[in-house]
Amino acid sequence: MTPYFHKEPVLTLEGVSMSYHGEIVLRDISAQVLNVVRPNMTQGQVVGFYGRSGIGKSVLCRIIAGLTPPATGTVRVGEEQRPVQAGDVGLVQQRYPLFNHRTLADNLLLAAARKHEPEAAKREVAAYLERFRLEQHGKKYPAQLSGGQRQRAAIAQQLLCSDHLILLDEPFSGLDVAMIDEVKKIILEVTTMDELNTVVIVSHDIATTTALSDTLWLMGYERDAAGQLLPGATISKDHQYDLAGMGLAWHPNVEAEPEFNRFVEMLKDEIRAA
Amino acid sequence: MPLEQQTHHLTFMKELFAPNAQPSRPVFATMVGAQLLVLVLLWVFYPLQLFPSLGQVLRALGDLITAQGLIQELWASMTTALQALAIGTVLALVISYLTALPFFRPIAYAATKMRYLTLTGLTFFMALLLSTGHQVKLSVLVFATTVYLVTGMTSVILTTTREEMDHARTLGLGEWRSFWEVVVLGKLDLMLEVVRQNFAIIWTMITLVETLYQSEGGIGLLLYKQNRYLHLDGVLAIQLVILATGALQDYVFVLLRRVFFPHSALTAAS
Ligand SMILES: Nc1ncnc2c1ncn2[C@@H]1O[C@H](COP(=O)(O)OP(=O)(O)O)[C@@H](O)[C@H]1O
Ligand SMILES: [Mg+2]
Repeated sequence: MTPYFHKEPVLTLEGVSMSYHGEIVLRDISAQVLNVVRPNMTQGQVVGFYGRSGIGKSVLCRIIAGLTPPATGTVRVGEEQRPVQAGDVGLVQQRYPLFNHRTLADNLLLAAARKHEPEAAKREVAAYLERFRLEQHGKKYPAQLSGGQRQRAAIAQQLLCSDHLILLDEPFSGLDVAMIDEVKKIILEVTTMDELNTVVIVSHDIATTTALSDTLWLMGYERDAAGQLLPGATISKDHQYDLAGMGLAWHPNVEAEPEFNRFVEMLKDEIRAA
Repeated sequence: MPLEQQTHHLTFMKELFAPNAQPSRPVFATMVGAQLLVLVLLWVFYPLQLFPSLGQVLRALGDLITAQGLIQELWASMTTALQALAIGTVLALVISYLTALPFFRPIAYAATKMRYLTLTGLTFFMALLLSTGHQVKLSVLVFATTVYLVTGMTSVILTTTREEMDHARTLGLGEWRSFWEVVVLGKLDLMLEVVRQNFAIIWTMITLVETLYQSEGGIGLLLYKQNRYLHLDGVLAIQLVILATGALQDYVFVLLRRVFFPHSALTAAS
């Protein structure tokens, strides 16, 4: 196994909770993502974030992205670990929205203009179009793109303007096997582009997510000492797995390994028991 | 008829009656032409007691144009209508966009409710306030256009989803820039559509206002006179002229939308 170690934090959740109209959705979530370092490699981070449908994953995404302030707690991001603000964190929402009134190239240019001078922005956009295999579609409007192309465009748009951290909300839902492979490739591409790049994959597809990640968070409900279900979903310490430490990260074909499958089965039992 | 050709005809018929079918352009044009022809033939060969014949209407039209200056009156009404539309559109856009600020929401709400004010009372009120007939006519029209447009435009703005706004915010655009990008630029094509739909209302208004405020002339007054003297052929001729003008305007708006908002047609279900 290649050696690796953890360094400074890139994302920190401290006691985050959220409720709507008195109904608790998220309860006291604390978790941290550290920069993973592998000697002689550019290795970003991939956090898999599993929870069943309707549990509050999208709500947590919006909180991490600084779009909704949490009821309590803070989210810190970046090298300075300052409280998050909208725009610090990229978020690709479930239906990959783009600006429908702008061409694909314009969509990306608008995002790139935030960090680059006009000329440099154009070069960046051209590079991203090529990297995401969209170079032939720059002049098209979003309505003229396929679902997969839209998704890649949305990811590219967020990468062009966010500082390393990007959340993908349900990137695999509704995709066929070939398209899932495409998205996987894109995610690997992103995490090898920069040491600090961090992708959080929100999903209810446990096997695909686990195979890609070096850290896994399971979101679920907990019981108190008397066995009563507590309101609000959380990510307990027991449910934050260091897959790199378990030797399950960064294997190209990990899904074929018995070790991996045993772990996924264990996770499924864990989820069913909750 | 050979069998092959017969089945060919049958597919034509099927195309025209299948839900959501997209018949080819020539087929569709032929169909429209045939429908028009049937209408005109009915008119020519089965004259109703009350209804003037095609010949009478055409004669009335010629007379209106040569003796009563139909074209000039139409032009006068149309320029007033366009002027009112331009001013009303700007006002309505400003009022609608300002609903982003809570302070201005009651104003927009009140504006949409002004649709229920009757025109007659309003004209009287405006006449007291303003000096020239043109001003009265224009201000009444601007008022009416604005309140209708605000209604349509605020409902367009309300179609903005949290997803759309969040998308702009995650790009670090900030609140004002996100609003500009998503609500203003992103929905300009729908605003144009609101303007197009409400232009028809102006024509209804203008004919009414012109009869209420007769010093200014206009096609509405012409129509009113034809009505009063029971010149049904003349009434019909003027109605047809207004109908044609309206259809032409609609077409111009569609062209504008296609030129300025090429993305617009892509998202609409064709
Ligand atoms: N803006 C909101 N107002 C009220 N309730 C909300 C809001 N957003 C989300 N919720 C509730 O939070 C819960 C979690 O939703 P969500 O995060 O979308 O689930 P998922 O895990 O499938 O992404 C749901 O019960 C939803 O009704
Ligand atoms: Mg969700």
